[in-house]
Amino acid sequence: MRLRERVAFQQVSDETLASQVARGDSGALETLYDRHASTVLAVALKIIGEQTAAEDVLQETFWRAWRSASTYRQERGSFTGWLFRIARNLAIDAYRRRNVRPQTVLEVDEADSLLDRIPDPDSNVAEQAQTALMNQRVRKVLAGLPRAQRQVIELAYFYGMTRQEIAEATGEALGTIHTRARLGLQKIREELEKEDFEGTDG
Amino acid sequence: MDNKIEELLPFYALGALTDEEKELVEAYLREHPEARKQMDEMQSASSALPYGVAPVEPPRRVKGELMKRVSAEVEARERVSKQKQAERPRERRWASLFPAFSLGVATVAVIWAVVLNVQLARLQNQVSLLGEALVAQSNSLEEINAKLPQTSPAVTVSLKGTEAQPSAHGQLIADQGSNSAVLVIAGLSQLEAGKTYQVWLIDAGGPKSAGLLTVDANGQGLLIVTSDLTIGEFNALGISVEPDGGSEQPTGEIVVLSDL
Repeated sequence: MRLRERVAFQQVSDETLASQVARGDSGALETLYDRHASTVLAVALKIIGEQTAAEDVLQETFWRAWRSASTYRQERGSFTGWLFRIARNLAIDAYRRRNVRPQTVLEVDEADSLLDRIPDPDSNVAEQAQTALMNQRVRKVLAGLPRAQRQVIELAYFYGMTRQEIAEATGEALGTIHTRARLGLQKIREELEKEDFEGTDG
Repeated sequence: MDNKIEELLPFYALGALTDEEKELVEAYLREHPEARKQMDEMQSASSALPYGVAPVEPPRRVKGELMKRVSAEVEARERVSKQKQAERPRERRWASLFPAFSLGVATVAVIWAVVLNVQLARLQNQVSLLGEALVAQSNSLEEINAKLPQTSPAVTVSLKGTEAQPSAHGQLIADQGSNSAVLVIAGLSQLEAGKTYQVWLIDAGGPKSAGLLTVDANGQGLLIVTSDLTIGEFNALGISVEPDGGSEQPTGEIVVLSDL
């Protein structure tokens, strides 16, 4: 893509770019990739735990975005919410096919894995600036969350574990798991609103 | 709100329900719009979770492969689109060639030319000369049309026999805007008793009978083809062998099949 086009695309929202992708604009897809590929790869890698398989998920996620951008509905939430759901579901499927968990439940708890990595210093391209900012904000919010709540949310979202599986793995009552998930999501939402987080719905 | 369903909502937002549970929640959300808002809020929180993981810069190769895949699809789409565009003028050919046509004059002229042609062929009594006769007929038509500058010429479409009767050949002469045309055919075999040739006009909805065709001892036949639709709306013409009296749909051997 030419520099002028890149600059033009940087000024438009993800949602506008998504509608351009739906009309077959591959340049818009490229810009969305530049903006979000590093987050998608991070999620896939966290879930699968293997670089090559995670890269396959990354490519497949954006391919599906290309093929089904017309099914994205802005009124139902942000583009990134839609994109990350595709990535997360593909990664969990890939992980289940491989049938090897990268970490045990205990390791997840002990490693505090949402916070254990620092961003790649080489990722300082224009499209990544906004991502880096969101990254900082969300990490701060998650760091402020009670660990038990964060654990339930992480096991459900990144590991695709059901309520019953989480209760079993943590040795807590199902009711406790329900409460932690509800309170955890509520707190994330409230804190992000306080942070004036622009990357989420509504 | 149903307490049990309420317990499922956060896990729906986190994408961690079984298929059965998911269906329950979706049905509930359809019936309870007020719960939709709550769900949207939870989903917005869950969709921020990926930002809690430190980004990982992908190798350039992944983007290269993706965009190559995308370009290949764009090219394929463009090829299909160009093909469609190329086919469109063909579909409209009849309409664009003859915007204002005097049906009466043309039909009379066409029939006259055909009759001349058939008479000539009969006099010669040689099936082998039919090809030349048809050319002569076309020439006659052109001359007639040249003498009628205020009217549009008729469309002439060549018809060819199938493998069943490769010697069959002829022409369909028509005004695209009318519901009738003249079919002249030669080189058809004599049929056994109880059989007849039936002419079909074919469009997207399938074949529609356009009349029964009788051929003489020389294998020549002439038929005024009529239809409920204008001739220009059809894609092809076929002739099949049917029981006497004809059939609702083609049942016997197809002896002529040509695109219009």
